[in-house]
Amino acid sequence: MRTLARSFALVALSAMPAAAEPASKNLLEPNYGLMVWTLVIFVVLAFILARFAFGPITKAVEAREKALEDAINAAQRDREEAARILAEHRAALDASRGEAQKLIAEARVAAERVRAELIEQARAEQAAMIARARQEIEGEKTNAIAQLRREAVDLAIAGASKVVERNLDQTANRQLVESFLAGLTSDSVAASR
Amino acid sequence: MKLGSVLLALVIAGSTAGAQQVAEAPHVAGCEEYAPGDFITPHISDSHCIDVPGFPRFWEVHEVVLPRWTPVHIGGATIDLSPTKHLVFLLLAAVLISLILIGAARAHQNHTHEVGRPKGFASGIEAMVLYIRNEVAIPNLGPHGEGYAPYILALFFFILTLNLIGLVPFGSTATGNISVTATLAIITFIVVETAGIRANGLGYLSTIFYWNKDLPVLMRVPMFVLMTPIEIVGKFTKPFALAIRLFANMTAGHIVVLALIGLVFAFKSYALGAAPLAAAVGIMMLELFVSFLQAFIFSLLASVFIGQMREGHH
Repeated sequence: MRTLARSFALVALSAMPAAAEPASKNLLEPNYGLMVWTLVIFVVLAFILARFAFGPITKAVEAREKALEDAINAAQRDREEAARILAEHRAALDASRGEAQKLIAEARVAAERVRAELIEQARAEQAAMIARARQEIEGEKTNAIAQLRREAVDLAIAGASKVVERNLDQTANRQLVESFLAGLTSDSVAASR
Repeated sequence: MKLGSVLLALVIAGSTAGAQQVAEAPHVAGCEEYAPGDFITPHISDSHCIDVPGFPRFWEVHEVVLPRWTPVHIGGATIDLSPTKHLVFLLLAAVLISLILIGAARAHQNHTHEVGRPKGFASGIEAMVLYIRNEVAIPNLGPHGEGYAPYILALFFFILTLNLIGLVPFGSTATGNISVTATLAIITFIVVETAGIRANGLGYLSTIFYWNKDLPVLMRVPMFVLMTPIEIVGKFTKPFALAIRLFANMTAGHIVVLALIGLVFAFKSYALGAAPLAAAVGIMMLELFVSFLQAFIFSLLASVFIGQMREGHH
């Protein structure tokens, strides 16, 4: 504690001489020479800094800001351009899709027509074939009927000849043929041929 | 964080070593004499000597006497243009901040061509430049006030560098010198009034002579008589406040740090010395903040004054 008190006294004492001679060291007394120097140094410094430091730094920052702004604008423009192109492409795609649909529909219609034609043709051919077959069948039938008829005639004749053969010695028949033969002339034989 | 503490420790060590050495070093011819035991006044005041670290024992302080020139007589005034400690630090700060900012600008030009933006340190500088320009200067300067932005930026970076150099061991705070802050304030005053004349033309006169057309004629004359001196005083109080604010803030911080370090030696005890040392480290951190703050405030107020004057406040 005594040390402390003594120390404060010492500090107070050390401060006192400074206060005792204010004439030699007055902190508020200006030094005109130093003021002139300060003026010169500051003015020169301000000009040098403005010319070589703040100017370029401000310019660089402004250039960078401008570059950024340009980049942002360019990006905006590009994005709009891209959106426009995308819309265009989408429209083109839609158009081509419609086109394709139309083509497919057309192809389908054409195919349908071809199919119908083919079917028609096939049907016609079939009909024709059927008609021809029918005709042939008809012809064959006619032939067959004719043949059958001839056969029947032959058979009938054969049968009849058998019957006739059997009945030939009968008296009545003999008379009939004889009367026929009696009434027969050579002219009537020629005419009957 | 670690680097920061090491730096702070170095700063404290440097100031401490400096304090001890100044207090004990034999007097060098040509340097100012101070009361024995007073190590605060030499630290915060200008001098014709400059403290340099020894080599290789960097903690030893050597005083180098700066040349003295015969004072120049201009008119009736005598101006001593001899270099002083603060002039050396003004030049050092001007060169340092020029190199840093021009280097950053170079990096901008190079990198803008390559990748479109700078990287690392230049990018950090850019953030500060852009903040001061776009958030402090341009909104306060008013419409079409961009032309004054480089002045505000130069003010900010110059004051900031001077403040920070003062925190480095063997450094001295030129912004803790009323001559420096007063000159900066006078320059600001001139820029403010010039901006008013350029923006308002003849209307600038209304910022000096109070002639309010909204008042009845009978009231106008007494108001003119009353307000005009106030307007004129108002013009000078602004730069005056700027000068005193910066000077007082920087000086006060250093006095507090040095007083706390002085306590360490006054206590002559490691145990007791630790407390003021910790306090000094804390104040040092505060000083780091104040360095930025005061540079910011000076440039902010300068831009506000220019903006007000351009607007023509009547």
